[in-house]
This record gives sequence, C-alpha cells and structure tokens, in this order.
Amino acid sequence: MSSQTQERWSVEIAGMPHFDQAMDRIYAWFEGEIIDRPPVRFSAHNAFVEQQKGHLAGMNAEERKALWFDVEYQLDMFERSIEGRVWHGETFPVFSPNLGPDVYAAFYAGDLIFGEVTSWIAPALKDWDDMDALRLDMDNVYFRKIDELTMQALERCPGKYLVGYTDLHPGLDCCVGWRGPQQFCLDMYDSPENVHRLADLAISGFETVYDHYDDILKAHGQLSVNWMGIPTFGRMHVPSCDFSSLISPAMFEEFGLPILQREVKTMTHNIFHIDGKGVARHRDAILSVPEVHAIQWVQGMGHDLPIMQWVPLIKEIQARAPIIIDLNKAELDDFMEAMEPEGVFLWIATESEEEELELLDRIAKW
Amino acid sequence: MEELLDGLYTAVLNGDASGAVENVTAALNAGAAPEAILQESMIPAMMEVGRLFELGEAFVPEMLIAARAMQSGLQILRPHLIAADVEPVGKVVLGTVSGDMHDIGKNLVGMMLEGAGYATVDLGVNVSPQAFVDAVEKEGDVDLVCMSALLTTTMPQMRATIDAFKHAEIYDDVKIMVGGAPVTPEFAEAIGAHGSADDAGQAVKVAQRLTGLAA
Ligand code: B1M
Repeated sequence: MSSQTQERWSVEIAGMPHFDQAMDRIYAWFEGEIIDRPPVRFSAHNAFVEQQKGHLAGMNAEERKALWFDVEYQLDMFERSIEGRVWHGETFPVFSPNLGPDVYAAFYAGDLIFGEVTSWIAPALKDWDDMDALRLDMDNVYFRKIDELTMQALERCPGKYLVGYTDLHPGLDCCVGWRGPQQFCLDMYDSPENVHRLADLAISGFETVYDHYDDILKAHGQLSVNWMGIPTFGRMHVPSCDFSSLISPAMFEEFGLPILQREVKTMTHNIFHIDGKGVARHRDAILSVPEVHAIQWVQGMGHDLPIMQWVPLIKEIQARAPIIIDLNKAELDDFMEAMEPEGVFLWIATESEEEELELLDRIAKW
Repeated sequence: MEELLDGLYTAVLNGDASGAVENVTAALNAGAAPEAILQESMIPAMMEVGRLFELGEAFVPEMLIAARAMQSGLQILRPHLIAADVEPVGKVVLGTVSGDMHDIGKNLVGMMLEGAGYATVDLGVNVSPQAFVDAVEKEGDVDLVCMSALLTTTMPQMRATIDAFKHAEIYDDVKIMVGGAPVTPEFAEAIGAHGSADDAGQAVKVAQRLTGLAA
C-alpha cells in the first residue's frame, strides 16, 4: 500500500489539537514535499526528568533494575514529565516501553545491565557451539516486562499520549550484543560463516516480534511509532547499525546489508538512524535499499560538533532521501541559510513554549 | 634475511598471526638480532596499520587482527629481547576512566604503543583516579599516563584523575595524554593534560613527542 493511500484515523491528545495537520506534514515530508513548513520536533528541557536521572545515579545495579522493571513507576514518571504540556510542531507525546537498545538481543539470551538512562547487555555467546541454543523466547523476563509496560500504558494513555513499540535492533548490533564488539570484529575475520549464521538467527525472529507489538498497538487504535516519535498509520521502523562505525564498507556490504534488506522489507516507513560519521561511511549501501525511506543524521560529540561542518553530507543525503537533523537552536539561522528546506525534518531542544512558537514562525519563513 | 623480515612485516600488516610466528621463528633461527626483528619489521608494520587507520583505509577489525599478529610474534620474540637486554622505549600506564566501560579504543592505543616499543601497564576499564595514582606509584618508572573516555558523562573523570595526581604530588613526574571520541585538544588543555590524540596512530606520535623520542 502506498503511504499516501493508507487508511488514516485521528487520535485525541490533550495539548495537541493539530494532530491531523501534524500527520499531514509528516506524510508530506516522507514524499519530500512541504505543506506549509518542514516538520519540527521539539525536545523540551525537563527539570523533573533531570532530577529523576540524578535519583538513579546513587543506586546500585539491583536497585536500578528494580526501578526499570517497576511498571507503575515508569508510567508515573512519564506521565509527570508530560503533565500540562502543549505539543507544538510535530512533537507527539509517546510512551515507548523501554529496557534499552539491547532488549531484542536479550529476548534470545543475555542479561541486561541497567544504567541511569540506558542499559547494555552482557555478551552471552562465548562459544560458537552454543549458537544453536540461542532462541527467541517470547516468554522471557524482558519480553514479558515489555508486554506489561505496553499493556499498562495502553490502559492509561487515552486522551493523553500515544503508545509505541520498544526499540528493536535485530541486525549486526544484536550479534554484537551476544558476542561483544571487539570479539565480533575478530569474528568477521576468524569465522565469517558463523557471523552469517548468527546474523541470520538475529533477524529470523524480527518479523514475529514486530508483528506482536504492531498487532497489540493497532488493536488499540494506536499508530506505528517508537522512541523516535514519528508516527505513521502503517508500519514504521528505525533500522540502524551502530557497529558499522567500526568496519569497512566492504564488510558492511557483506554482513550488514543483507540483514538490512530483510529488516526493512515488511515496513511502510523506514527511517535509518545514522549515528555519526562512522556509520555515514556506509550511506551508499544503506540508500541502495529502496525501502529505506528516510535518514536520521546524528552527529557525534567533541570534534563532530557543530552541525555546519556536516552541511555537504546532509545535502548529499537530502538529494536522495528525506532527512532528520538534530540541531542546536543557535545554529538554526545559519543552517536555514545554507540549506533548502525540502525533505528536512528538524529536531530542536528548547527551554519554553514561547521559544517553540517563535522557532516555528522562523521556520515557516524558510 | 630481508625476505624473512619483509614476510614478517606483511604478516603483521595483514593480521596473519601464524605467519608472524613462523617468520619471527625463522628470522631468529637465521641469526637475526631480536632488536632488528622488532624495529625493522614489526614496529613499522604496526605504524603502517595506524597510518591506514588514520586515512580511513583500515578499520577496527584490521587493527585488531594486526595487533593480535604482533602479540603472537612478540611472544616468541620477548625472551630473546630480554636476553639481549633490549629495553622498552618507555613505560605507559593506561586505562579507561571511572564509570566508563568502553575499551576498544583504549586497547588499540595500547597495542599501537606496544607496537612502537613501549612497555604498557593496562589498568582496564572503570579505573578510579586513585587507581591511576596507585599504579604510577607502584610502577615507579612510568613516563606516560594514558586515559581514555568515550562518554561525555565520564570526561570529567579525566580532570578528577589529573587533580588526584596533583594532590599526590606526582603530576610533575609523568606526562598525561587523554583521548576518546568526545575529547578535544581544548578540553585536554583545560584539564591540564599534556597532550591528546584523535586516533591510535596519532597517539603513538603524541606519546613519542611527550616522552622525548620525537620532536
Ligand atoms: C590516552 O590517549 C588516547 C588517545 C586516543 C584515544 C584514546 C586515548 N582513547 C581512544 N582514542 C582514539 O583512538 C581510538 C582508535 O583510533 C579511538 O577510540 P574510540 O573508542 O573512539 O573508537 C574505537 C576504536 C571504536 N569505537 C568504539 O569502540 C565505540 C563504539 C560504540 C558503538 C559503542 C560501543 C561499542 C559500546 N557501548 Co557505547 N558505544 C558508543 C559508540 C558509538 C560509535 N559509533 O562510536 C558510544 C560511545 N556509547 C554511548 C553510550 C551512551 C553508551 N555505551 C555503552 C555501552 C557500550 C557497549 C558495552 C555496548 C560497547 C562498548 C564495548 C567495549 N568493550 O568497549 C553504555 C555505557 C557503558 C559505560 N558505562 O561505559 C551507554 C551509556 C549505553 C548504550 N547502550 O549505548 C554513546 C556515547 C554518547 C556520549 N557522547 O556520551 C555512543 C557515542 C553511542 C551513541 N551514539 O549513543 C579514538 O577515540
């Protein structure tokens, strides 16, 4: 089904009377078109959220895990963080059940280690002989917790926010979770046939897992959305491969590309998350996949700031696919001066509602 | 002989561990001086890997297999170097700072420094300021301390470690190099580090400058 002909419906969200227009702008963006201005997503500074992070900092690993697993607490915190907010631009309140980026790997095997704002996995596959024991387990502790977070959120969300599906990384990043990144780099030379088998195993459960959440969400009148906060009425997904920042284009083409092609196949909207210049090295391969509909560009820290140094790269991608850019509001004028607006989706961190309205005005004149 | 040393160079460069072992053994059997094997073949190979990495022509897996080949060769060579009284060019203590578990970059820097002839003491990850101080005091003859951080949230631990060195009054006895993706030269200078490097190849050059081996 073409994205333009998909069935659409409206969702009531307090503080977001313009839900339908926002969706129209997003659909236009996917087509490289602009209705009245490019879409904009704001991430507002939230003193409450900052304070909660500080709260976790003083805890030991077990205490942190208990809080990550506390469904009531997670939902209370989320709801308090959005309380009374008015949603400007294409900023949707979305609760995405979250146990960190390695949760998909942990659905098969491995323990998650919980930090303050994210988690990571302890590699579980020490010996290739144990590969056959790796199985998608939809009854495992992490899977059940994500289900619980999803179901509770669906009960509590009406009129207030959207519920998304959890962050799923079924490609090489999943294999890295099982083997550890350094070992996996060596595996690519030492045991390429096992790398292929492992990648195949990682992707094999993806459609089942994705469908599981998509069915639940759609049965509750929800859209398709995840941490990225860009909803669609079809099947949206954010493929990525952070590990690819460590390897050559030839290796990505051999091991990463075939998995990406399978990962995106059943989706209507894929936004590939390019995390820094190391991943951008593979943009030709990534964009060679017709189902990769858009790109999110994330520059790194340190030398990789500010955004203006990336304008040539951004233009190059913009010529081939719609692109999300996360920039600092102080960089906005220079950025708009240097770029054409078609196909650009802006993400901007803000301090207040007034500021968001002022930025929308400025962007409307671009 | 030249053929054997060339073969060893190629084996290390291509990450061929068994080839490295065979060529080191053959070169020793043919009477090559252990120092020549190290200086004329293995170190240049690692420097070339570092150069290719800097140029974006080699990547992390290639660096890792080259370093592994170097280590395999060194295992054979090391007893001969000791017997021949070949001294390391300097001693380095390195680690990833407190709260940070990223070690691939730090390991590569360590491997490259070893490849350049330094003796390294790797403290691992999540190394507290006090553990850096203790290691330098225990080792005694440390020339260079290398700290790695990959998280913006752990970068302040670099300053904390340097402050701990000042507090322990050993700051003037060593040189300090910092690195990791978010680290800039401006940050390094601001916290009192003596140098910083963007990648493992450059780290060797900065180390050589800081330890007086190069201008
Ligand atoms: C002393 O002198 C010197 C001189 C030069 C020095 C030097 C010292 N040290 C390094 N260098 C330099 O030389 C090296 C070789 O050329 C270079 O080293 P680098 O380390 O930069 O480069 C390495 C060769 C390759 N690069 C890497 O190894 C890092 C790759 C990425 C993908 C990465 C990995 C692999 C991991 N991670 Co993490 N991880 C990411 C990274 C994203 C990315 N695309 O870069 C990054 C660094 N991680 C991040 C985060 C947030 C985290 N990670 C975490 C965990 C992990 C893994 C355990 C899964 C794994 C580390 C495994 C390991 N054993 O190291 C968590 C924190 C854990 C902790 N407390 O440390 C977690 C908090 C959570 C998470 N799930 O992502 C981000 C940091 C954001 C920030 N700026 O603060 C991140 C940029 C990913 C992202 N985009 O969000 C140079 O910097």
